[in-house]
Amino acid sequence: MQIFLLCLKRTGTAFLTLLLVSLIVFAAIEVIPGDAATRIAGRDATAETLEVMRERMNLNQPPVERYLGWLGGVLVGDFGNVLTSGRSVVEILAPRVKNTLIMSGMAFALYFPLVLIPAIYQAVRRDRAGDHALSSLTLVLLSIPDFVLATFLLLLFAVAIPLFPAMSTIDARTSFVEILHVSVLPAVTLAIVMAVYAVRMLRDGLIEVLEADFVRMARLKGLGERRVLLRHALPNAVIPTLNVTALNLAYLIGGVVIVERVYSFPGFGSLIVDSLKLLDAPLIQSTVLLAAAVYIGANLLVDIAAILLNPRLRKT
Amino acid sequence: MAQSEALSSGGEPLVAIRDLGLAYHQNQQLNDVLHHVSMDIKAGEIVGLVGESGCGKSSLSLLLLGFRHPAARIRSGEIRFKGQDLLTLPNREITRLRGNKIGFVPQNPTTALNPGMRVGAQIAEALTVHGKARGGEALRRRIVELFENVGLPEPRTLLRRYPHELSGGQQQRVTIAMALACGPDLLVLDEPTTGLDVTTQEQIILLLKSLRAQYGMAMLYVTHDLGVLAEIADRISVMYAGHLVEAAPTEALFAYPRHPYTRGLIGSIPRIDGSRAREGRLTGYLDRREIPPGCPFQPRCPLADEHCPVESQYLSGIAENHAVACRNWQEVTPLSFDDGELSRPERAAASESLLEVSNLTLRYDGGGLMVRLGLAAELPAVVREASFEIDAAEVVALVGESGSGKSTIARAISGLLEPAEGEIRFHGAPLQKKIDDRPKQLVSKIQFIFQNPDASLNPRQSVGRSLARPIEVFFGRGRSEAGELVAKALEEVMLSSDYARRYPDQLSGGERQRIAIARALVAEPDLLLCDEVLSALDVSVQANVLDLLERLRSETSVAMLFISHDLAVVRRLADRVCVLYHGQMMEQGRVAAVFAPPYHPYTLTLLMSVPGSPLRKTTIEPAAREERKPEPQGCAFAGRCPWQPDERCYDQPPPLHRTEGGLAIRCHLPLDDLMRIGLEAEENAPSAAQERKAGNLP
Amino acid sequence: MERAAAYWRQAPGAFRIGAVILAIHLTLALLGWIWTPYDYTARVGIPLSGMSWEHLFGVDQNARDIFSRVLYGGHIVILLAVSGTLLGVLVGATLGLTSGYLGGWLDEVVMRLFDAFNSIPFLVLGLLASAVAGPVASGNPLLLVGVVALVYAPRVGRIARSAAQNIATQDYVLIARLRREGVGSVVRREILPNCSGPLLVEFALRAGYAPVLIGSLGFLGFGVRAPLPEWGRMIAENRNLIFTTPEALLAPGIALATLVVGLNLFTDGVARLIGRSSVHENG
Repeated sequence: MQIFLLCLKRTGTAFLTLLLVSLIVFAAIEVIPGDAATRIAGRDATAETLEVMRERMNLNQPPVERYLGWLGGVLVGDFGNVLTSGRSVVEILAPRVKNTLIMSGMAFALYFPLVLIPAIYQAVRRDRAGDHALSSLTLVLLSIPDFVLATFLLLLFAVAIPLFPAMSTIDARTSFVEILHVSVLPAVTLAIVMAVYAVRMLRDGLIEVLEADFVRMARLKGLGERRVLLRHALPNAVIPTLNVTALNLAYLIGGVVIVERVYSFPGFGSLIVDSLKLLDAPLIQSTVLLAAAVYIGANLLVDIAAILLNPRLRKT
Repeated sequence: MAQSEALSSGGEPLVAIRDLGLAYHQNQQLNDVLHHVSMDIKAGEIVGLVGESGCGKSSLSLLLLGFRHPAARIRSGEIRFKGQDLLTLPNREITRLRGNKIGFVPQNPTTALNPGMRVGAQIAEALTVHGKARGGEALRRRIVELFENVGLPEPRTLLRRYPHELSGGQQQRVTIAMALACGPDLLVLDEPTTGLDVTTQEQIILLLKSLRAQYGMAMLYVTHDLGVLAEIADRISVMYAGHLVEAAPTEALFAYPRHPYTRGLIGSIPRIDGSRAREGRLTGYLDRREIPPGCPFQPRCPLADEHCPVESQYLSGIAENHAVACRNWQEVTPLSFDDGELSRPERAAASESLLEVSNLTLRYDGGGLMVRLGLAAELPAVVREASFEIDAAEVVALVGESGSGKSTIARAISGLLEPAEGEIRFHGAPLQKKIDDRPKQLVSKIQFIFQNPDASLNPRQSVGRSLARPIEVFFGRGRSEAGELVAKALEEVMLSSDYARRYPDQLSGGERQRIAIARALVAEPDLLLCDEVLSALDVSVQANVLDLLERLRSETSVAMLFISHDLAVVRRLADRVCVLYHGQMMEQGRVAAVFAPPYHPYTLTLLMSVPGSPLRKTTIEPAAREERKPEPQGCAFAGRCPWQPDERCYDQPPPLHRTEGGLAIRCHLPLDDLMRIGLEAEENAPSAAQERKAGNLP
Repeated sequence: MERAAAYWRQAPGAFRIGAVILAIHLTLALLGWIWTPYDYTARVGIPLSGMSWEHLFGVDQNARDIFSRVLYGGHIVILLAVSGTLLGVLVGATLGLTSGYLGGWLDEVVMRLFDAFNSIPFLVLGLLASAVAGPVASGNPLLLVGVVALVYAPRVGRIARSAAQNIATQDYVLIARLRREGVGSVVRREILPNCSGPLLVEFALRAGYAPVLIGSLGFLGFGVRAPLPEWGRMIAENRNLIFTTPEALLAPGIALATLVVGLNLFTDGVARLIGRSSVHENG
């Protein structure tokens, strides 16, 4: 009962945050000088044309009403129409999201082994040469901006050794296998950038747990190192790791923006940039809200998982 | 016992530590932690190892399990357990001994048990890894049996619980069961009762004694508390700054300590009968930067001569089983104690009432909005209808175990916590509930001193700044003027004026607590709220701060609300005592009346649990019986009370009895019965008490 | 001076390497500010003529000397990063510390707002802010400072708030409350000095990432205005030279990467120094 209430509370908070985000995004777009009608019609449009457009796009209503109208639409899955072409936002968004999902799915598949193996190795062999070497490597990798890393990888694996295409072209006829092939370089880039950060966090977290009283107690009971690590240390380091993964998801959404740009990958990230370049209000609102929703959702899942995993909260 | 004596009479002892030296690698240099330590533990024997915090006793206890910190380096010596050197044994062999032949009981069971694993599984693991059980019903039966042996209630359901669902005492019993699981020859106990309430501590000690009688294993009992060792140890080794300074059988050590440090340590322990050592209490503190190459105790030693700073001292025998590491041991005189009651300066009874607390009920605001919406229940009251008074210049002690609400009362008086009900009057006028509603001059009149000296000073402010701030705030004086007052305040707490320039991390715990007292005094208060101000300090430091408080009591007119769980300290310092249990006032009266029959059953239970109390009981009780919880209006002690007359205790408010001595007791038992119970308790143990007195036992 | 020397000797190796890299970067940035071999906007060579002694990193499409541009870009990147981070930390710390100390509904409101900002991925938030202000302030360096601050303030605020919450329960803060000291006084005297460690680390950490953020914005076309050679935008404008003269990308790329490596090593060292011994301050 208590646990259910707690989960309910977290979910409520998540929706509240999402609501605030929608408000922030809406307010931000309101602030842009000149309204959408002027932007579409251009500077030399007549007053009448502008008035007709405003009427059609409901721009004459007060902001509060427009916000509520937009929010109502979002709740029933209607994100409005794109300003430039007039097509529905969902229609434009769907294929982009699909491509990005395939690519980031691949990135996550690479991410987990890239995190767990070095982090556990470092924690167990802490302060030895291998730990120091990996620490330095991760620090250097951490410092290389993702767009620089992406560009280097592009230079290396698309130009010097042309294993993968430098430009990712995906259309309706591209097969799934081809999409996978095109996704390799962006996925590898993302996985490295995410993993580097998580390896450092998990290493420190594991070392902290390994120094905990109950781990010492497990050793003093005469348990072997392997059992101490797997039965006592790791399960208690899982929750912090989950948090890192949620943080990484936040990075992932920003990261796709960059990486998709470098590899000209037609995904969700490049759509955000395009919509911002064009100041296409409905598209900006939808993409930013979606990005925030993914992040908030991931955090909510991690929160609930942490609650369920913690026996201190599970019972009574 | 007979078996252990037979073993010890011939051949090598169970554990033989020889010339052990240990150092920690820190900032590219080696810092010695243990110096040439040698000691024996015979089979079936309980050896106590006593020393103040940071003396190296915990490092030594862990070495007995072949465990050392990655930064630790062995400098010399060996630890032979049944003939094998634990320091050179391969890792696989050590692992086989740990938890099997050598068990470990940790200081803090809350952090030592894996929070995500059921307690039964944690014990099962210890059994299976050493091949003592396979699993299934046999394993279960063994765990249940172990839980029964350590006095855990309802073992079959308990083993499916998680550590956080058990009380501190129960958790410690689980770790003891874990240590016992494989039938070890040696049990290493690292401060096993520190952090437990005195009644729980008493039960754990009785349990350990009975387990030794039952299984005959040897124990190394590591603690800072000599009083506990007097109860349990056969022999005691005293450690100071990584050196063993004295080793002797328990009675011999207390009867005539031959090392100046041991003597000072025994002399510094507050004694439950109120008596105190005439001289020889410890002064100063261990300054790690000033340890001389010779005897480490030399800077604090009253007998030190020119050889002491340079000449290393090693344990050497002075009598059978008695060894001392001091070249001047023959000059050490026996301790003498005055009669506690007589040494107390009698105070003129002040008539003016300073603080009146009436029907105070306190609760923490738990759910906030949730409570108001009816989604969560209001938290139960922490303190219920408490009433007491403090007269001007009087010291009133508030006594109780953890969770009794004594600190909460102090917070309410200070204005940090708004009372739910009741009234507090100060100088005859009602006191505003919130600190922000009180005028500044009133705020300065009530000053708070906290328990933990590490947390009560801002680490980024010099002592001078910390002391000057109240002067600036309350009296609006500038910095230069404040400077003089700061120097005066430092003098008041017996510190030189150059302390003003130091920062908290350059001070010892005792010095920090003095500064905290000085900071309270510069506000020129009428009332000091002292919240467990001694309990975080080492024994020797505690004695010094206690001296300071005693001086304030006799030389100034400041009144104190002295909150403590330590009955011995209370007996020395307080004029009047209020005993609190689970937020209910059990009894109150003048010190002499509270510490004599008739006792409140709870006070009597407390007195019986204090190590060294003449009322010490010898029976063992099962840990926390699955007790029936008393109703809020009933007596809070119902269910735990050994003398509980009947069902009334659970649901009816206990009546208030007043004795001729001015004592007010709340109990369903009539006064005559309480008197009889008290007298019986005293009769049962007079001879033991006499013996103890003769032997200097605390 | 002696104390500084002692710190230097005790400092971890990583910290020293970081400090040296930073010193080199700062020197070069200062140098580039005063003097460059060629004017960073001037057409001085044959476009795409590759590396030579006259043009160390070659010449870009617009016939500008890449070495001069990278050298001149140093102080732009560093100034933007540091001032943006400083502004963000100032705003975030003030809000976070006060809110964490006060608690209650105000704290709840401030934290919900911080959470909302933080749940927009920082690059997306940065892009959104730049795009929104674009029509009036596109390419203005001050806009970038504001964007960096806007992205950082809620994140720093979160950290500051939890640090303040820990400190707020310390006995010395209670003592100050029991003196009836005002909120400003308690935050300034008791809370801030004891949060300075985490805040300093936070500042260094954020300052280390700021060049990347600014570079990313520049790379995506939301950075400083056209001729200014901010490294991220240089990488973007020379991106199509990747097959012909990769040094045009590599030079600003390596400059950016080494600057961030230096900052990160330095931060790591600072964090460890703070963890080991506290640095005192008077007052």
